[in-house]
Amino acid sequence: MRKSTSDNIKRSDEPIWWGLFSAGGVCFAVFVPAAILFIALLIPAGIMAPEALSFERAESMIFSLPGLIFIGVVVCLPLFHAAHRIRHGLHDLKLGKEQLNKIVTYGSAALLSALALVGFVIGIM
Amino acid sequence: MAKQTSYFPELKRDWWLKHPYFKKYMAREATVLPLVFFLVCLLAGLFSLLQGAQGWQGWLQFMQNPLVIALNLLAFMASLFHAWTFFQLFPRVMPLRAGGRTVPPHLMVLGQWLGVLVVMVLAAWILMGGL
Repeated sequence: MRKSTSDNIKRSDEPIWWGLFSAGGVCFAVFVPAAILFIALLIPAGIMAPEALSFERAESMIFSLPGLIFIGVVVCLPLFHAAHRIRHGLHDLKLGKEQLNKIVTYGSAALLSALALVGFVIGIM
Repeated sequence: MAKQTSYFPELKRDWWLKHPYFKKYMAREATVLPLVFFLVCLLAGLFSLLQGAQGWQGWLQFMQNPLVIALNLLAFMASLFHAWTFFQLFPRVMPLRAGGRTVPPHLMVLGQWLGVLVVMVLAAWILMGGL
């Protein structure tokens, strides 16, 4: 039997990257602003009491199920969003080679995400 | 390979500097650069937490560095700029209908900003010891 045309066309992996980009974009817009505001601005600047991020509290908050969700929503998905934009930004600036850029950007996002999950697993053990 | 005979206009590297719309597009692409800085800060925080109380204290001090605060302020503004552009897409990509009528786009944008605000209030409540 002859193979149909659709069998001969290699399935594109782009939908995966666009999906991660959109999901990360929502997180970057909705959850990341609050995370930066409190963790990186108000508490370090001393506007909010530093006890909010004391060692014991930070530990119990992050090494829990809500902590895992936080890592996924505020770290991993935005990482893939950033990778996508950097990849296309490099293309727009005519820098690098398309295939290599793709591997390096998404590869870095995957690596850093894996690192975050490893850190989480070590923490709960 | 056969010699290319059709006309291909060559795009120069600075094409985006030629029009304000393209500059805005590239500015939005660049919002992820300070974002990556913040994300790496968080990762460092996670691993400093694993080093015990002293490691964590060191990370808190690192976050107080004026340069780090400045970069994170940039990341905060970038996230709001990204949100501003992103929220305008939602009514276009997925128009919602309620009661037989399309929800006006500006209401959907407003709703999303409300979501941002709710997340901030919730985060404040959790950090202030509500949880």
